[in-house]
Amino acid sequence: MTIEAVPSVAIPAVDAIPGTKPVPWRHRHLLDVAGLSAADLDLVMRTTDAMREVLARPIAKVPALRGRQVTILFYEASTRTRVSFEVAAKNLSADVVNIAAASSSVSKGESLVDTVRTIEALGAHMLVMRHSVSGAPYLAADTFGGSVLNGGDGWHAHPTQALLDLYTIRERLPGGSLEGRKVVILGDLLHSRVARSNIWTLTAAGADLWLCGPPTLVRGFEAWAGRGAASGRRFHVTTSVEEALRDADVVMALRIQRERMAAGLLPSLREYAARYGLTSERLAVARPDAIVMHPGPMNEGVEIAADVAAGVQSVITDQVTNGVAVRMAILYLLAGTHADRSGAA
Amino acid sequence: MTTGGGPDLEISRAWLVDPAAGREGPGEIVVRDGILTAVTWLSGADADGIGPEGVVVAPGFIDLHTHLREPGNEDAETVASGLAAAAHGGFTTICAMPNTSPALDEPSVYVRIMGAADASGSPVELLAHGAVTVGRAGEQLAAMGELADVGVVGFSDDGSPVRSAPVFRAALAYAGALGLPIVEHAEESSLTKDAEANDGYVATVLGLRGWPVAAELTAVARALAILGDVVLDEPGARLHLTHVSTAVSLDLIRLARERGLPVTCDVTPHHFAMSDDWVAGARRWAWEAVDGTGIARDPWADGALVAPPYSTSVRVNPPLRAAEDAVACLTAVADGVADAIATDHAPHTEVDKAVEFGAAATGISGLETALGVALAAVDADRLPLLRAIEALTVGPARVLGDRTRRAGSVGLVEGAPADLVVFDRTERWTVTTDALLSRGKNTPLLGMDLAGRVLLTMAAGRIAYEAPDA
Repeated sequence: MTIEAVPSVAIPAVDAIPGTKPVPWRHRHLLDVAGLSAADLDLVMRTTDAMREVLARPIAKVPALRGRQVTILFYEASTRTRVSFEVAAKNLSADVVNIAAASSSVSKGESLVDTVRTIEALGAHMLVMRHSVSGAPYLAADTFGGSVLNGGDGWHAHPTQALLDLYTIRERLPGGSLEGRKVVILGDLLHSRVARSNIWTLTAAGADLWLCGPPTLVRGFEAWAGRGAASGRRFHVTTSVEEALRDADVVMALRIQRERMAAGLLPSLREYAARYGLTSERLAVARPDAIVMHPGPMNEGVEIAADVAAGVQSVITDQVTNGVAVRMAILYLLAGTHADRSGAA
Repeated sequence: MTTGGGPDLEISRAWLVDPAAGREGPGEIVVRDGILTAVTWLSGADADGIGPEGVVVAPGFIDLHTHLREPGNEDAETVASGLAAAAHGGFTTICAMPNTSPALDEPSVYVRIMGAADASGSPVELLAHGAVTVGRAGEQLAAMGELADVGVVGFSDDGSPVRSAPVFRAALAYAGALGLPIVEHAEESSLTKDAEANDGYVATVLGLRGWPVAAELTAVARALAILGDVVLDEPGARLHLTHVSTAVSLDLIRLARERGLPVTCDVTPHHFAMSDDWVAGARRWAWEAVDGTGIARDPWADGALVAPPYSTSVRVNPPLRAAEDAVACLTAVADGVADAIATDHAPHTEVDKAVEFGAAATGISGLETALGVALAAVDADRLPLLRAIEALTVGPARVLGDRTRRAGSVGLVEGAPADLVVFDRTERWTVTTDALLSRGKNTPLLGMDLAGRVLLTMAAGRIAYEAPDA
């Protein structure tokens, strides 16, 4: 595909009704970042720039999704991602329906397929979903007539988080390029959909990616590093924080959950904090201008020290702000393909 | 048609495969009144132009491991639909697993399913394994003696391992004295809690909970260790390890046999032909998923992903393994470490499969695709045809101690009731929900073409399946 058309649609088109301007975006759903090309990622970044411009206006609202119903279906507790999607959809003038499913469809009795059919019958054009089972959005996409946006599935993927992380890093690094920059993801890799999605986008962007955590929580990633290297997805796996952080440009800490102790994967939170917590002392071996990230919600004092989270190197609140812009961009791009396919304006 | 009522049949110029005689070649067969009256091997000019790539006649297949869902889940499969599926797949003897509801842990359930088989009118022979423990709960021994009296051919808690080692030891000894094997599903359950896919590269990328190779190896090692203990007191004890899925387990079984332990094993078509790449959306055979040095290739790197990931049709226990393990399973069939190919036919309803991957029922509907998958390996020069047929006939018969009604004659035997399958290797067929006679349409092969369409299956001298246009 070509990306020459991008500049002509990027900024002005966001004020237009979708479907009236061609968008070089060929994906109906956003289920994963694995299938996104470099051109796709570039388009998302440019469109996010346009949405940032919208957000800077006195009235941060455009009509792009007017008349579109966006249903947000979350099977797991979430504040920031759910609200971020809701704000993003409302900024685009969509009608937003929120469904908080207290537990998984399996234990509730109604199957996910039936739930999705119901949501479609109620008029949804786009479905944003979060689910505790890896791959669940693929089942929804197989059923739903519109577009499905994965808001996080099990340990598998959190595409909009990876895109907002990429945007935030590009924004903060001089020149906006990750090529050869050392990026560290620190913590519980095993259970992290944020880490898995970031592996795809950060390696695609050319980063020198390092994964670091206790041996029980980086299990399996060495196999990925070995097999994936053949196709250019190169990264390093280490249990040494010192090795990982040395001269790093970007450090992303991941949340540690208490359940990991019950599962016998860690002795204690105290020991984790002592050996793997991102403290200012540890951060001192990174580059002086290194940025600190966290997808939230944080356990301050465990995986990240409070002074680091609130320090000058932290871009954690930027991540939240950029999250709205990235989600606006994704909703906008998917609505464009949706309109083209259905013929609806 | 003669007065006896059995069918007449003549097949000339076919490729006969008779693993009981260790022989294959051009030949002809004649069936009169259901009896195989003549088996003629052709040579010289008569044999010109007859090759193994055309119409093949072989003894009817035996499946050691079939799940019928009657009683308890007849929406997924009944005895009658399972027998019809068997005949369509070329099987003339199948062994039902006891994990029905209620479990086959005492004679009344056995009598019930045998009655259903009789009522179906199918000439396919139904055998059954009894449960090892009451309710397959792993605690108290089932009525093994009574079950042996009514005719079970082995004991298994399949679907689950026999969790308690002392109970497993007792069961091996008790069954041994009855002359029957324990058919063990080798899985250390504490290592597979909530597991979703083979622990490795694909599971890591897809964020699926890993199902480690060690869970099978640990259980295989435990079972062999206990067998070695039990045979000292009960020389009749026999262990059959079913659906073995890993190279290291097969290595251990090979070693145990070299040491003289009475252990046999089977592998399934899906474990020798498919790999965990299929969970990611690949649909290439396992031997195509390894490079020239036998190392698994990266399905994300070379355009192998042709289907969406997380298809529940590939969710199975044990899970599809890495391509290296799958190739090792195929090698085990070829070199005889695996005595049999068993289908682990596990039909499920669409409702039980149309859910999230991790919540889906485990199992693949396999009776009707086993031959086609085996022939794919034959076509790829990975498995000799004679050995493939042997692993579907003589091999499983030996595991059963020749307890089929064909006792001692699982071959093309003149004078016996015809029990055979005729298939055409030049004809491919498409696996569709309509083509499958099983109620379980749960196979990842839907939409794919398989070689070796079955033209005719005869069991006990009667026609069990005949292709509509054959």
